[in-house]
Amino acid sequence: MTELPDTSTNWIPPLIPLPPLPVLTTLVIDLRLYDPSPRLTNTLCSIDSAPALSSIAIEHAVDWKRMGHLCPGAPWVDVDRWLSRIAKQTKVMGGLSLTLRRWPEGKSVWEGFLPEFRESGGKIKVGDSR
Amino acid sequence: MDSIPQELIDTIIDNISYFSLPSCSLVAKRWRRKSQRRILGTISFSSEDKVKRWCTDIPRDSNGISSYVRHVNIQEIYPWVEPALLSRMLGSLSSLTTLTMYGTEIPGEFPGHISRGEFGKGITTLRLRFLHLPYCTLPMLTSMILSLPDLKELRIKHYRTMPEGPLPTDFVTPKRGPLDMLKLYGHVDRIGEALAESRLTSRHLSLDVGIKDIEQLLLLSLETVVELTLYGA
Repeated sequence: MTELPDTSTNWIPPLIPLPPLPVLTTLVIDLRLYDPSPRLTNTLCSIDSAPALSSIAIEHAVDWKRMGHLCPGAPWVDVDRWLSRIAKQTKVMGGLSLTLRRWPEGKSVWEGFLPEFRESGGKIKVGDSR
Repeated sequence: MDSIPQELIDTIIDNISYFSLPSCSLVAKRWRRKSQRRILGTISFSSEDKVKRWCTDIPRDSNGISSYVRHVNIQEIYPWVEPALLSRMLGSLSSLTTLTMYGTEIPGEFPGHISRGEFGKGITTLRLRFLHLPYCTLPMLTSMILSLPDLKELRIKHYRTMPEGPLPTDFVTPKRGPLDMLKLYGHVDRIGEALAESRLTSRHLSLDVGIKDIEQLLLLSLETVVELTLYGA
């Protein structure tokens, strides 16, 4: 009997060879899971050039009262690294701003999640739901 | 009553409860048109019988009350006993701008009417959710969408079945400019791919990250995107 390897939990999709996105100004990430999924992380990391990007919003639909407290982990490290890369290359005056919507524990917790982004000059705001 | 300015009557009707509008429409002639416009601005059909009654009772008149309808919701009509009713009803609505179909079958001949330009002009928003497509093939549905000349916003969420098949020869699939909003979520893999292959683009693109072929969609669609929303992530 052939035993197939279990790849369901560790599967990482390949990067998408996306072209530059010259007119993209706004990116909204609407999270439905506790952490960014491998697929989302991969999609974001595939965006290599978005020089007009001035605003990213991460909105969370998770019921945090039921889910417990926030915990930084590997998916956020990847997202932070990507955010930092994009923040450095933006050509927009005033730089890239990141808005966190519907986050339960305020800005201070989030600054701990995204250290590279902050160091690269990105600004973090906590806003209301759209 | 004649001394009341029309603007004041219009303001009253704009702000009155929806349930009072039928009474308003009976006050006087000057109250009727505006009241009926609000009553009939959005209509919903939840059974084939209601569609049939509309086709029977409402005269097809480009200046009559059928022209007051701007938004139509068609819900849970599956299957159609008389499929031609859908085209007949929608063809009577000269001011239609928003068409929402939920849990409804798109009859096989319906896309052809739009593709041939028999109606669909003026529709700016198309929302398709949980469609039943037993007789409508993927190329027919794609052609139908691309043939709506004024379409600005397209939202598709799940569809249940869609047979394979070639595009009939009498279908015309025009090239068109970018939409303002394209939103694809749930089980929509093949229609998303087909729209991307036909080079349909949008300034605002909203995608479910769970879509199987999201990579291809992104590759084909991103050039004109100003705002991108990724969700279900």
